[in-house]
Amino acid sequence: MELPQEEMAALLLQVASLRDRNAFLQLFRHFAPRIKSFLMSKGLSDQSADDILQEVMLAVWQKAVSYKPEKAAVSTWVFTIARNKYIDLLRRDERRKESSIESFTANSADHSGDAPDFQPEDREALTADDKVMQQQRASAVKQALSRLPEEQQAVIVLSFIQGLAHGEIAQHLDLPLGTVKSRIRLAFKHMRGELGEVL
Amino acid sequence: MSTADKLHDEWLLSYAAGVLDPGRSLLVASHLTYHEDLQQAVADAESIGGSLLESMQETDVDDSVLDALMNRLDETVVPQVRPTSATGGKYPQPLMDYINCDMESLKWRFMGPSMRYSLLWDGPNDERLWLLRAHGGIQVPEHGHNGDEWTLVLKGGFQTSSGQYLVGQMSIADENIIHQPQIDAGEECISLVMTEGPIRLKGLLSRMMQPLIGI
Repeated sequence: MELPQEEMAALLLQVASLRDRNAFLQLFRHFAPRIKSFLMSKGLSDQSADDILQEVMLAVWQKAVSYKPEKAAVSTWVFTIARNKYIDLLRRDERRKESSIESFTANSADHSGDAPDFQPEDREALTADDKVMQQQRASAVKQALSRLPEEQQAVIVLSFIQGLAHGEIAQHLDLPLGTVKSRIRLAFKHMRGELGEVL
Repeated sequence: MSTADKLHDEWLLSYAAGVLDPGRSLLVASHLTYHEDLQQAVADAESIGGSLLESMQETDVDDSVLDALMNRLDETVVPQVRPTSATGGKYPQPLMDYINCDMESLKWRFMGPSMRYSLLWDGPNDERLWLLRAHGGIQVPEHGHNGDEWTLVLKGGFQTSSGQYLVGQMSIADENIIHQPQIDAGEECISLVMTEGPIRLKGLLSRMMQPLIGI
């Protein structure tokens, strides 16, 4: 199912302000199959992917009030939630192995960590600017990605989708660590250069 | 090569992708709190993640997931209470959340004259994240590294041959660097340090002491 970014944002705001289950269902139909692929590409089994997927979508429902349309596209916000839930799972597994390790979750577009930062003043309707921004931003990122040289696309995808750290990418591609770091740096620089003001 | 000030983009991108270990992740998160431009870079990297998520193939999701989820929508969310640190926001919030106590209440261990450290995290490949506390005006013993050493200044400042480091700035030294940081005179200096492998102390006395110190 395809859903334009500005529609996602409108649905998410409906979830936030009206607790609209139908709007939530539409978001679920769009995101759940993608989140599931995302989680499985990191090596999760079907069952674990379903479990984490449920956590992610529950967080979307619960944290909808903390979404800020002017800050990030809905898909970016959902990505940060999926990422954080996946990290939570990793840390839980690590703790089982080694009880001394504390949980720590990367946290930025998902401003709230594990619980919503309740900021009702941000729950306004989408402005026309927001709508345009939402759509432009999302398609610009996609285009910029597709214009990267293949070797740079590879390190980006291995980072975000396969979830590999620098050393793991180096092993996977049989490259020196320094090469991997500079490729990531270059890819990111190209993308930011191309995207400029849109982001 | 030694570089100053701010983390490089590859670390910000990997942080945004969520692939850093807990130690590096905490270091990056703490560093970010000082620099809006780095926060923006992470937000930009996250939008790459969002776009990639959007272009993922769709995998069938069993109806049972949706059923279970719909039954949970009425769950009450228990708001997470963040203990406000007694330091009043003087140190990065991610760090305070992690140590979950006052800086003073940490277990500080002897590391040399006028130097103490507190170990926060150790990783599978001999990485360590620790806090270093040094009196103003002292010189840290000359040392080399077995891997990268990242030092984020949280309080006070220090100087090495590559420059001056103040609060919020990060010194990055690789294994080819041997340095002898000079802590600025006056107030104490507190830094958040990530090392890969044990540091290599120069000088006989320091080397004899190293096994006792453990960093």
